[in-house]
Amino acid sequence: MTASPLSEITRALLAQRGWRVLKDRLFGWTMAVGGLAVISALLTLFLFLLWVIFPLFRSASLTPLKASAARAEPALHRSLNEYGDLEFVVTADGRYHFVDALTGAERDGGSLLAPGRGTLLPGLTGYRNHGVLALGLTDGRALLVTPTYRSTFVNNIPGVAASLSYPVGREPIQVLPVGTKLRALAAATTADSTTIAAVSDNDELTMAYLAPAGGLALDPDNAPLETTLMVLGRVAGPVTQVLVDPDQQELYTVTESGEVSFFDIRDKAAPRLVETTRVVPGGVTVTDVRWLAGGNSLLVGDSRGRVAQWFPARDQTNARHLTKVREFTALSAPISRIEPEYFRKGFVASDLTGQVALYHTTAERTLVVAATGLGELASLAISPRAAVLMATDAQGQTRRWAVSNRHPEVSWHSLWEKVWYEGRQQPEYIWQSSSASSDFEPKFSLTPLVFGTLKAAFYSLLFAIPIAVMGAIYTAYFMHATLRAFVKPSIEIMAALPTVILGFLAGLWLAPIIESHLLAVLSLTILLPLSVLLASLLWSLCPLRLRALLRPGHEVLLLVPLICVVLALAMGASQPLEELWFGGSLPHWLTQKFGFTYEQRNSLVVGIAMGFAVIPTIFSISEDAIFAVPGALTTGSLALGATPWQTLSRVVVLTASPGIFAAVMIGLGRAVGETMIVLMSTGNTPVMDFSIFQGFRALSANIAVEMPEAEVNSTHFRVLFLAAFVLFLTTFVFNSVAEVVRQRLRRRYGNL
Amino acid sequence: MQQNSPQQTPAQPSLVPPGETPPPEGRDPPPHRVTLAAREVQPARECFGIEHLSLFYRDKQALFDVSMSIPEKQVTAFIGPSGCGKSTLLRCCNRLNELIDGVRTEGAINLRGENIYTRGTDISNLRRRVGMVFQKPNPFPKSIYENVAYGLRIQGIKNRRLIDRTVEEALRGAALWDEVRDRLHENALGLSGGQQQRLVIARAIAIEPEVLLLDEPASALDPISTLKIEELIFELKASYTIVIVTHNMQQAARVSDYTAFMYMGNLVEFGATNEVFTTPKKKQTEDYITGRYG
Repeated sequence: MTASPLSEITRALLAQRGWRVLKDRLFGWTMAVGGLAVISALLTLFLFLLWVIFPLFRSASLTPLKASAARAEPALHRSLNEYGDLEFVVTADGRYHFVDALTGAERDGGSLLAPGRGTLLPGLTGYRNHGVLALGLTDGRALLVTPTYRSTFVNNIPGVAASLSYPVGREPIQVLPVGTKLRALAAATTADSTTIAAVSDNDELTMAYLAPAGGLALDPDNAPLETTLMVLGRVAGPVTQVLVDPDQQELYTVTESGEVSFFDIRDKAAPRLVETTRVVPGGVTVTDVRWLAGGNSLLVGDSRGRVAQWFPARDQTNARHLTKVREFTALSAPISRIEPEYFRKGFVASDLTGQVALYHTTAERTLVVAATGLGELASLAISPRAAVLMATDAQGQTRRWAVSNRHPEVSWHSLWEKVWYEGRQQPEYIWQSSSASSDFEPKFSLTPLVFGTLKAAFYSLLFAIPIAVMGAIYTAYFMHATLRAFVKPSIEIMAALPTVILGFLAGLWLAPIIESHLLAVLSLTILLPLSVLLASLLWSLCPLRLRALLRPGHEVLLLVPLICVVLALAMGASQPLEELWFGGSLPHWLTQKFGFTYEQRNSLVVGIAMGFAVIPTIFSISEDAIFAVPGALTTGSLALGATPWQTLSRVVVLTASPGIFAAVMIGLGRAVGETMIVLMSTGNTPVMDFSIFQGFRALSANIAVEMPEAEVNSTHFRVLFLAAFVLFLTTFVFNSVAEVVRQRLRRRYGNL
Repeated sequence: MQQNSPQQTPAQPSLVPPGETPPPEGRDPPPHRVTLAAREVQPARECFGIEHLSLFYRDKQALFDVSMSIPEKQVTAFIGPSGCGKSTLLRCCNRLNELIDGVRTEGAINLRGENIYTRGTDISNLRRRVGMVFQKPNPFPKSIYENVAYGLRIQGIKNRRLIDRTVEEALRGAALWDEVRDRLHENALGLSGGQQQRLVIARAIAIEPEVLLLDEPASALDPISTLKIEELIFELKASYTIVIVTHNMQQAARVSDYTAFMYMGNLVEFGATNEVFTTPKKKQTEDYITGRYG
């Protein structure tokens, strides 16, 4: 059989076939690679965010360190230096020394008291209070000491030099009437003054106040200190502990049964008892009370193993009452010691069985619970950087741990729920990541930011949806084709307008105008639609001859001058009318009459500005959807005697609803992610108020504002990434929901 | 211009106020005689009187001075080659052409003696009285029930029982009831093409129009569905005046009582179907019918 000769055209076609197949395959591969690249880019972004966020939610861990080589010795007090490598020890015999925690080498020891000048009271354990340690003597005197550490750099080897300093001099200060014995002692010191509180064994409270003599001294370092000793009288007893806050404004006495007396000592000449509160139920005893870092809250440990945080909160009448804010119940045996962190709002507690637990107060987290392997602890110390934890029992046996606890302040509670921060009247949602003062606690509630984002989206869609969707309906369904060919691309070009320009115009140009013409802006929402309707009515009443002057469909252009005139009239009339009716300024009047706060950069401004950014998106997509409704449905409806309006509302909009819905959701996604407009035209105050006259802070703007100043890998930095993640998730969810609903609706209306 | 009209009856002003239809007269069983020769032309009242109708798309004239009288309760077929203006003429009967930009009509169409091309004509009401079914089935993306009820709802009828009854009657009238009675609330777009077309007819007759305009109602359907539609036209003839545009001459011969042959915008011949098909008066008609062009 011979192959039939191929015609010329067949041969030419065959010659091309290989190339066509190759092109087809190349195209297919390119598409696949492109699609996969997009998906993997998204996935990478997602994973990167997760990778940065993940450490926030890791709980703390304790890694045992090599046991100290120092010999075990019972001690009155132990504390650690900044890096946890030097240990400061005060022994009952009135001596102190520093111990190198690694080698056990003893350094810079000495006697606290000159020979024969007194003996330390063994039962009274000194408490560290912001660096100052108060030690009681058997004769009712007190000695204040501060271990100080200095970085050295000898022969290119970094080291630490430790020494002891005496804030109020080496001579012990008489804090109790002669002849009485100390039961409790506390001290607080600043550069200007020192307050020492003491309770005697017959429950007499005294307070010594030391300040440079003669008020302002010329040479404060060497000015002689003047000591004022005040006897505040007997307090309910038996007192086990007394506490003075670092600012020397509050003084508390604590009894074993839980009676806490709160003294206001702001006026040192006239201290007064504010109230006595019972902090534990009957049958429960208080075992230890300490200041939380900052000295605003008391941590009360009790015999049930619970630790509660109390602070004086103001009530409606501005009076302060000691209030229980939260409680931690991770331990079950009686609490033996509480040791707060130096700078953060975390603390460590131990119980009688030798368990220790790490907590964070505002996050309401129990970070870790671990067994020390020791019995009842005599002391618990944490290094100022909270990197080393040390526990010692009565025999002086020591255990040390490296603490990994980078982000204790973040929890679901502190991010999303109301948190009762120190000094606040009630639990609140607060975002405040930085402050001018150093002893402030960062507050990372994402709720006001998410609220701000949703508020921005709400008001901008409130402005954009009616305009965009109605505009789309008009353009697709009623507008003359030649006009439509001009209008649609023009609105779509609006989407290309950089949002920074919109934000800039809104914040610097629009916001002041709205403030001074608020009446006009508010009334325009009614005046504009009304005047358009009126104009349409007048036009339909016009004689045909007049109407024939304009090409059919072009009469809508008459609205442009009309709207300009209405705008000008409203703006012009606004100020005289505000003078006449609202005493000159409507915002001011609203504030006075209804208590509205009016901020110049408010949600109204954002709504308008971001509305403009969203309108092109919503308009374009819904216009396409409406225009794509088959003409057969429209004619079918009209042929049944429906009016154009009925046809529009019952058939056209219904059929286009998937597209319109998708348009609104995509607009919502855009409004949620929009940054520059909300950044520039709101006040960026993270308030939770839905009022249109108030500003807000959106997630996106918050990231833009704070990311440059956040320290890399700090909690703040990671929380900002978390905010980014939440934003990413929100837009992702909105777009996915839009797509799912759109697909479902399209299936329903698909076979048109 | 050639005019072949059946017995001209003087146009009588309608005694029925607009918006109401005269009660359907006792429904006789439809005639089962399908053969042409056996069919007799009944003297009939005029339903549509088309008088010197010309239509322009901007500057292009599409209909040239058409005059004819469409009798009541009969089936009138418009035939002719593509682009001859038969659909345009049909759409003039419910003023649907006005949806197209730049359309201008001259002349008059009288529906029961009333000119529908006056300024005061209520177009919505006109279209309610003159129902229309299109070439391609166009059910709305709603349930079967809602499709049929649509015409009632837009007239503002809210009485559920009345709507239920009308929907059932209309679906029975369109011979669809037995097929859809169990799934009235399913989406109409799930029906087959033939069912959709009968649904659209049901939708049209639910509002009891006086006239049904059928614009190639079976051309997008398979032969069985086409047969069903044709049977349906027979049954509907008892209650409605039917005007049908068709490409299919056999269909015109099968279903119609009167036939109008159009060519290039002109009405060439109009007469009783058996006469037009057996003894056409015009050569053009004969050529078209015998398949010599078209």
